[in-house]
Amino acid sequence: MHHALTKVLVANRGEIAVRIIRACREMHLRTVAVYSECDRTALHVRYADEAYAIGDNAPRDSYLRIDKLVDVARQSGADAVHPGYGFLAENAGFARACRDAGVTFIGPSPEAIDMMGSKTAARAEAMAAGVPVVPGTREALGPDVADAEVARIAAEVGYPILIKAVAGGGGKGMRTVARAADLPGALRAARSEARSSFGDPAIYVERRLLRPRHIEIQLLGDHHGVVVPFVERECSIQRRHQKVVEESPSPIITPELRRRMAAAAAAVARRVGYHNAGTIEFLLDESGEFFFLEMNTRLQVEHPITELVTGTDLVHWQIRIARGERLDLDPERMLAPVGHAIECRIYAEDPDSDFLPSPGLVTALRAPAGPGIRRDDGGAVAGVVVPVFYDPLIAKLAAWAETRPMAISRMARALDEYDVRGIKTTIPFFRWLLADPDFQAGRIDTTYIDQALAARNGRPFLEMPEHASDIAAAAAALQAFTRTASPRPGAAPSESRWQRVARTEGLR
Amino acid sequence: MQLQLDVNGRLRTVDIDRKDGLYRVVVDGVERFVDAAAVDASTFSLICPAEGRSSQEVGLSPTGLPGEIAVHMAAGVASVRVLTGAASRFGRGAGAAQAAGTQQVLAPMPGKVVKLLVRAGDEVKARQGLVVVEAMKMENELRSPKDGRVSEVLVAEGASVEAGRLLVVVE
Repeated sequence: MHHALTKVLVANRGEIAVRIIRACREMHLRTVAVYSECDRTALHVRYADEAYAIGDNAPRDSYLRIDKLVDVARQSGADAVHPGYGFLAENAGFARACRDAGVTFIGPSPEAIDMMGSKTAARAEAMAAGVPVVPGTREALGPDVADAEVARIAAEVGYPILIKAVAGGGGKGMRTVARAADLPGALRAARSEARSSFGDPAIYVERRLLRPRHIEIQLLGDHHGVVVPFVERECSIQRRHQKVVEESPSPIITPELRRRMAAAAAAVARRVGYHNAGTIEFLLDESGEFFFLEMNTRLQVEHPITELVTGTDLVHWQIRIARGERLDLDPERMLAPVGHAIECRIYAEDPDSDFLPSPGLVTALRAPAGPGIRRDDGGAVAGVVVPVFYDPLIAKLAAWAETRPMAISRMARALDEYDVRGIKTTIPFFRWLLADPDFQAGRIDTTYIDQALAARNGRPFLEMPEHASDIAAAAAALQAFTRTASPRPGAAPSESRWQRVARTEGLR
Repeated sequence: MQLQLDVNGRLRTVDIDRKDGLYRVVVDGVERFVDAAAVDASTFSLICPAEGRSSQEVGLSPTGLPGEIAVHMAAGVASVRVLTGAASRFGRGAGAAQAAGTQQVLAPMPGKVVKLLVRAGDEVKARQGLVVVEAMKMENELRSPKDGRVSEVLVAEGASVEAGRLLVVVE
């Protein structure tokens, strides 16, 4: 069942669309981009061989329009679709629509997406595969289930609990509830977010483990029954249940535990006949016990760190699997990481104001480079407006080095080089984090950021030394002074290169 | 040339002129000589000859608020307002931790007001939630910059707001 693919429609935007287009070009496949109104000049549009407008800015009018995407596939003659992550990546209806249109969906089957996309069904499959799950409700609690009934169930599961959207992901539609008194408000918020983000207000209740770590196992499965699990990723650094820093391997996982977790992940994947890329997420508690959390039936945001420590290109393999090739990776090697990799998600958010989104105009940008640094971005440069309609991810920055301390040090160096002006970013938070003794010692769990934020109580993550305030004052004065001293103020746009050089020289 | 600046909420007085091919910069009476070269229209490379020739880059960028610029340095980002002539309104050494005077809470991004947590006349504590704005698919709680009293609430639940829209005033 080996079939050639020639042209791939990338049904996404931003950095992941660019990353997939790059893989396609490396594999000599033609690429088709789609774009909403505000993305007309986005990098993924410029990098693709063909590009099609699919509607207005709101995702439901463009990147979530299955009908338009299938039309573009037909019109462009694409024989495959890569959904990336987010948007329609875990929408079985989209995978089915592609199949019905005779287009290869680069991902799992619609049946597997359906099965694992329902968090309650996924839990049942994990249990059937002999993998422990976090205590909680087995059935989805739809909108018709009264609050009082949810309260009864919550009391039975035992506080603290998590309320989660059955169709959820990315921390949306999820709330922690410490006490019964807080349940009604949290339930309302979770249901309303679940409805607006996923179109399904059904939720379920799960016990919240104390200080758990979030550990996940990447895997690939082919169409010939081969499943290969990879070395774990540690994703405990989360805010609002969304990962912001990931590393591989985990600083605390032994080779023996890695083998057990990898075997458990592979068992779940085999049980549901899974093919293509997927990730099984686990919670690891303080005693070293692990529990199945959920399966993500797609490529993950944090896939680069796995690529860095295993030397494997996961997107290449997604495409090769989709065209029927056999997975011939050495499974031993995929569980034996070389060196250490860390990823920081650079978001347009203000870490000093509870990570509020900070979209807007980027007035200047210089990205880091050099040994061991990998950056995936969607093309944010000076003059680009970070749109308000989508996730405010500017770039993913990954650092690889031979050891964890050196990877941390290298990441810190790269963040120091990162110069982003005009918008607030999460860079100051990462600089603080990488210097934090608990992080450096690997003493982290999923409550780490919340605790750090509470402990800082509004103090900024980067506190300016006295000397820096002097420099800031001097720099502002310099700008005012040199502008006043400029021979022809306001003439900048028409001035020649010679004049500009002369003016620059005059500053010395 | 003399300037009064507000640097991260603290009043600084700066005198600047050129001397011997360098800039002489006096910040609150402390003199420094700086070799400054423009990298581009908003970036300077600074070398301080008398401080072990310490070298650093500073970038300047408008913040969108009137008269305010962000100064990007290795040690972080400072917000600076040039207040020449208006210095008397600012107390020397006033910290940024607790905002003083009447404070306006603006929408930091375009979005929808999903919930008002306070009403005009309510007493509030610093960092207490005032209003919940939904943007980028997340609900964001905007908090009070100070202990005080809510004097005005200028939006209704369900309203769509632009970035910079005045939402709540705390006295």
